[in-house]
Amino acid sequence: MTKRWGIVIDQNRCIGCWTCSVACKSINNQSLGIHWNRILTSRPNESAPGIGPATPAIDVPSGKFPDVQLAYQPTSCQHCKNAPCEKVCPVGATFRREDGAVLVDFERCIGCRYCIAACPYGARSFTWGKGQYAHEFPVGYGQDYRSAGRLVFTPERPVGVAEKCTLCVERVDKGKKPMCVEACPAGARIFGDLNDPTSELSIAVEQQGGRRLLSDLGTDTNVFYLPVSRPNKVRS
Amino acid sequence: MTNLGQRAARRYGVWVGALAFLMLLALAAWLYELMYGLETTGMRGVISWGLYICTFAFFVKLSAGGLIVASSAEIFAIEALKPLSRLGALTAAVCITLAALSIIPDLGKPGRIMNLALHPNWRSPMIWDALVVGVYLLLALAELRLMFTKAPTPKIQRQLRVLAFVGLPAAFALHSITAWIFGLQISHTFWNTALMAPLFVVSAILSGTALISVIAWFLQKFAGAELQDSTWLKLGGLMAVSLAIDLFFVFSEYLTVAWAGVPSEMATLKMILPGGQFAVLFWLEWVIGGIAPFLLLVVPQTRLRIDLVATASLLILVGVYAFQIELTTAGMANPLIPLAPGISVGTLTPGAPVFQLVGHYVPTWVEYLIVLGLVALGAILITIGIRHLGFSELQSKMTEGREMQKAAQA
Repeated sequence: MTKRWGIVIDQNRCIGCWTCSVACKSINNQSLGIHWNRILTSRPNESAPGIGPATPAIDVPSGKFPDVQLAYQPTSCQHCKNAPCEKVCPVGATFRREDGAVLVDFERCIGCRYCIAACPYGARSFTWGKGQYAHEFPVGYGQDYRSAGRLVFTPERPVGVAEKCTLCVERVDKGKKPMCVEACPAGARIFGDLNDPTSELSIAVEQQGGRRLLSDLGTDTNVFYLPVSRPNKVRS
Repeated sequence: MTNLGQRAARRYGVWVGALAFLMLLALAAWLYELMYGLETTGMRGVISWGLYICTFAFFVKLSAGGLIVASSAEIFAIEALKPLSRLGALTAAVCITLAALSIIPDLGKPGRIMNLALHPNWRSPMIWDALVVGVYLLLALAELRLMFTKAPTPKIQRQLRVLAFVGLPAAFALHSITAWIFGLQISHTFWNTALMAPLFVVSAILSGTALISVIAWFLQKFAGAELQDSTWLKLGGLMAVSLAIDLFFVFSEYLTVAWAGVPSEMATLKMILPGGQFAVLFWLEWVIGGIAPFLLLVVPQTRLRIDLVATASLLILVGVYAFQIELTTAGMANPLIPLAPGISVGTLTPGAPVFQLVGHYVPTWVEYLIVLGLVALGAILITIGIRHLGFSELQSKMTEGREMQKAAQA
């Protein structure tokens, strides 16, 4: 049976430290201003004075003071099975591998940004100009990676193409876990095969009520979240 | 007479020269954009489509009117519109060319545009749009060629009639598919409405007719053409009706959003309604480009005062363009997952946040110049078209019609 790679994120374990985001940013050499992976919290309360949705804020609690709580929702590409980005790409530059990874062919993309407009998760970025980097040298994977002959990673993305989380296919194809999973200090992420009912991932989804983001859109994502409040918080 | 001819020639030279200058500026702006990437535009992470896409959709709409006027004149035998059928075919061909061109500066990799032909993904509305734009351009050119044949034989008349029957559904397909680029997307609730295609079709008829009216006014005012009152009445009436339907559709959209109060859609509507970030678009669309021209056009008496009709037409064009900006940019401003900190914008500007929870978009001079250059190109093409494709015939045909009418009355 073919694999269907997925990630489960335990929101009860996530401490909102952004390590997954930073690890993703450095191994994939993302230029300044681009985050394939970000940690979402809550919607800012519009009625609170001086705070509105346009106010820049990293951690926003939900609820009303003093009864507030803070939960974290790390969000990157959800690797949908029914992926809007793949459907809208006029040239088939965005494609889905059999194992579920949704990838961008940097040599075919024409930069029309339809995929960015179509993604309900805001998971895609665009290389608006020549990337600015924190270091003068590329960090992370440091070399091109091809999947079935198609250029799905290159250390410095060409100007004018769409880019996003690659599920670290470089690592996954070698039997390793994606970097965000590897780096999480709280053990909040599980990587595995959704088609294998005995995998740690499948068991966690099954037994602890894994939910998916915007599941009513029918995108059939491969990323699952274990909510903060759930009946059985025990990890298998 | 000679003096007058010289003056006209000089005026023509100044007009074409000024337009050519604008095009040069646009070309320079585009080269600049090619060198530094789309970073030179105001588009970023959340609102990642801007003026170029709005302009594309606007030109698509403008091109409709042309073919719809030309085809309806033939199919429904509307005699009053027949003198305008050549002008209609000309504007259709020019505007669809401009629409195709306005996509190119929007592409991050314009050099790869041939991928559309080499690797088409038929599930994408965009590939169907590229196809229908191409077909539509060919149709408009074919119609134009037949119309400007010196001595129309019965065979050519027959071919024209066939083209008219193909042209009308083609125009509907063009607008519907362009609407579905937006309307089929679940990512922006404000876009995801079944009303999108009908809305595009009706605003295409509206704005296309407005463009033809503006050009007809120019010709009558400065080039000695004379259109019959019945033609002006028809144009004004067509605009009044389609404007009313257009506003009705948009109102239905607003009401559907407001009554249900679904937060993701309400966030967008609040931005558009008075008091919101995009409220200027509301005023342009509803008052300046909506109610004002409607009042001007709904009374038959004012429809005969061509200065007023031309003013109303210009206002309509402003309103339709404002609607396109409202739909595209305001429609994109609110991500479906409205959680802080939001979406990364993609570039680093010192002092500005890297994340945006609500999109912010102000076009840059590069975008303005390129759009202006495209408009200038359109104006040049229409000017040259009118001058060299036998406008004298068009004029005589108009006069002929008027004389015939007079004779009939007598």
